[in-house]
Amino acid sequence: MRRLIYSYHMHLDFETPVREHNFKLRCFPSTDGRQKISDEHIKICPVHFSTSERDSFGNMCIYGTAKQMHSRFSVDVSGTAEIDINLRIKAEPHQTGIFKYETALTSAGKNIREFHRSFEPRACAGEYERALYMMGMLCGEFSYVSGRTGINTTAEEAFTMRRGVCQDYAHILLSLCRLERIPCRYVAGMIPGEGATHAWTEIFDAGTWHGIDPTHNRECDDTYIKISSGRDAQDCAINQGVFYGGGRQTQEVRVIVRKK
Amino acid sequence: MTVTEEELCRHSDSVNEQLARYGVRFGIYRNGEFHEQLFPFDVIPRVIGHEEFSCLERGLKQRVSALNEFLKDIYSERKIISDGVVAEEFIYSGSGYLAQCDGVSPPKGIYAHISGIDLVQGKNGSWYVLEDNLRIPSGASYPMIARELCMRSIPSEFEGNMAEDNRDYPELLRRTMDFVNTGGHSVILTPGRLNAAYFEHSYFAERTGARLVTCDDLTVENDKLYFIDYSGRKEKVGAVYRRISDEYIDPVNFNRASLIGIPHIFDIYRKGNVALINAPGNGAADDKGIYYFVPRMIKYYLDEEPILQNAPTYLPYYEGDMKYVLENFDSLVIKDVAEAGGYGVVFGNKLSSQEKDNFKSMLKAEPRRFIAQEVIDFRDIDIYEEGRRVPRKADFRAFVLMSDEPVVWKSGLTRFSRNPDSFIVNSSQGGGFKDTWVISK
Repeated sequence: MRRLIYSYHMHLDFETPVREHNFKLRCFPSTDGRQKISDEHIKICPVHFSTSERDSFGNMCIYGTAKQMHSRFSVDVSGTAEIDINLRIKAEPHQTGIFKYETALTSAGKNIREFHRSFEPRACAGEYERALYMMGMLCGEFSYVSGRTGINTTAEEAFTMRRGVCQDYAHILLSLCRLERIPCRYVAGMIPGEGATHAWTEIFDAGTWHGIDPTHNRECDDTYIKISSGRDAQDCAINQGVFYGGGRQTQEVRVIVRKK
Repeated sequence: MTVTEEELCRHSDSVNEQLARYGVRFGIYRNGEFHEQLFPFDVIPRVIGHEEFSCLERGLKQRVSALNEFLKDIYSERKIISDGVVAEEFIYSGSGYLAQCDGVSPPKGIYAHISGIDLVQGKNGSWYVLEDNLRIPSGASYPMIARELCMRSIPSEFEGNMAEDNRDYPELLRRTMDFVNTGGHSVILTPGRLNAAYFEHSYFAERTGARLVTCDDLTVENDKLYFIDYSGRKEKVGAVYRRISDEYIDPVNFNRASLIGIPHIFDIYRKGNVALINAPGNGAADDKGIYYFVPRMIKYYLDEEPILQNAPTYLPYYEGDMKYVLENFDSLVIKDVAEAGGYGVVFGNKLSSQEKDNFKSMLKAEPRRFIAQEVIDFRDIDIYEEGRRVPRKADFRAFVLMSDEPVVWKSGLTRFSRNPDSFIVNSSQGGGFKDTWVISK
C-alpha cells in the first residue's frame, strides 16, 4: 500500500466581475475499492450555497451558487490517498454495458477505423490484454504534443493529427476498444509531480476494472489517484458553470502529488 | 346529426377564421428561419365508437404502463437487458438515453406522465401503433379548442350525438401535475413565443390555472425551485410541466452552450425536490428502434398479451430482418431512428434504382440507424376540400395521462395529409387536423 499527499488548486479569473455564478465541480478524489481518501480539505471561494452529491457514474460533485460579484472563483482540494495495487474496483456486467458504445467524443471515424483494421486479429487471452495490445499500437503512432488539441477535440480529430495530450490518448484508446465492444471508461485523476490533472482509461475484464495509461504506455500502479470516471472527458468535466457577465476568462490549474 | 352537410361545410371557413384569430398556429423552422403557420382544421370529425374506443383504451393503458416500467428498469437495475429481451445497443446508442438519469427515481416512480401514442387504422379496421411519444408530445390543445369553437358555431351538430366532452383535458393535466408535485406551485415551462407549440403552452396554462413561465422566471436556491414574480417575491415550485427538451433544461448538467435552462434544476430533481414532467431521459423509450421491442416489454413486465399491435416492423440490426428488408425493399417504408416529425422517412418504391442501391449500402453500413415497416394501407377518412368530400390519409394521436393510474383522454388529435398521394400527416409537413369524437354509449 502506498500513501500519497495531493493538492489540487484551480482558479478562474474573469476580465469583468460576474454574479449569479452557478457551478458544478467534479474534482474530489473519493474512496472506492482501490483508494482510500483521508484528511480531505475543500475550500471553494466565493460561495453562497453549496451541497454535495454523487452523479450517475458515482463521482463526487459539489454544486452551488456564488451570488455576489466576484472576479476570481477558486477551488482548493487537498488530502491523503492510500492506494493498494492489489485491490480492484469491482462491477457487475449490467453496470458496464454503457461503456461499450461510442460517444460523440470517442466516435471512430474513417482514420481510426482504418488504423484499427491494420491490427492483428484478436488472439489475446482476454479483453484486458487486447486493450494493452491496442495501447501499444497507439503509442507507436501518436506523439505527445500540447497546444494542438482542446477539451472539445474528438478522438478522430486528434488521431488524424497524430498529436495530442493525455485526454486525446485516452479518447482514442476508448474509441479503439469500443470498436471491439470492450467496456472501457475515461478516468480523470492525478499522478506524482507538479502540473495539471492527468487522464487515463480503465478496461473492464473478469469482473473488475483495470487502469491503463496510454500516455505513458503502461499499466496504472499505486501512484494513480482517481478523481472521476465516465464515458469520456465530458462526463468527467471538472468544472461546469454559468454566470452573468465576465467577458474573457482565464483558468489556472495546479496539481501537486507527493509520495509520503 | 341534425346538421346538414352544406351547413357543416359552410361553417368550416368560419371556424378556421376563429382559430386564426385565437392564434392557433404552430411554428416551423425551415432553412434556419422561423415560420408560423395556421393549422388547417377540417370540420368532419373522426368518430370512434364506444366499443372500439374501450379496446383502444385498454391497449393504451397497458402500453404506457409497460413503457413506464421499462424506463424505471433501464435507469436502475436493467433487468430487461440482462434477461436478453432488449438488445442493449438500442438503449445505449440511442440519442434519448441519458446516462445522467441513471439511478434517479422521479417522484412516485412516474416517467411517462403525458404520452402521445400515434396510431393508424388499417383498411380492415384494425388499429396499429406507429409511434410512442414520451418526451414532449404536443397536440391536445387543437382538438380542445376546435371542439369549443364548433360547439359555439354549430351547436346543432352536437345535439344528441353522444360524443364525450373532451374539454376535461385540463382537469386530467392538473391531476397529473398535482399527483407528483413535491410541494408548491405547478408551472408550465415554455421556451417562449418562438416555439412551435407556444399556442398550446399558453392555452394549457390558461385552462389549468398553472402559471406559464419561462426559464428566467425560475431559480434554484438552497436546493429548492422558486418562481420569482414581477415584484421579486419567491414562491416555491413543486412540479414543472416543461416544454423544453432534456438537453436545454439545465446548462450546468447538460448542454453547457445552452442559453436557456435553469441551472441546477436537474440536481434538485435528482434529490427528489421537484417533479419534472415528463421525466428527463424518456427519449430512451420512444426511440424508433425501441418501438420494435414494446410488445415484448408488455409480456416481460406485465405478463400480458399486447392488446394493441405494432405495424409489422423489421430491425436490420438482426440478420434475418436485414435479409427480409433487402429482398422486400420496394414494399417497405424505411425510417431513420434519429429523425422525427416525418423527416427521414423513405418509401422503398419511390426511389430510383440508383437511389435504392445507395440506400441499401447505407443500410448495410449502419444497420442500427434504421427500422423498416410494412406500408399499412390506411383507412382513408373524408375531408372537405373546396366544398367536396374527398378521402385522405389520417392518423390518430391518443393521449395517456398518468397519475395514480393511467387515464386515456376521450378524444385525441386526428391529423390528415392534404396531399392525396401522401402518407405523411405531420403538421410540420403541411398536414391539417380534425376533432376526434368518442361515442359515450
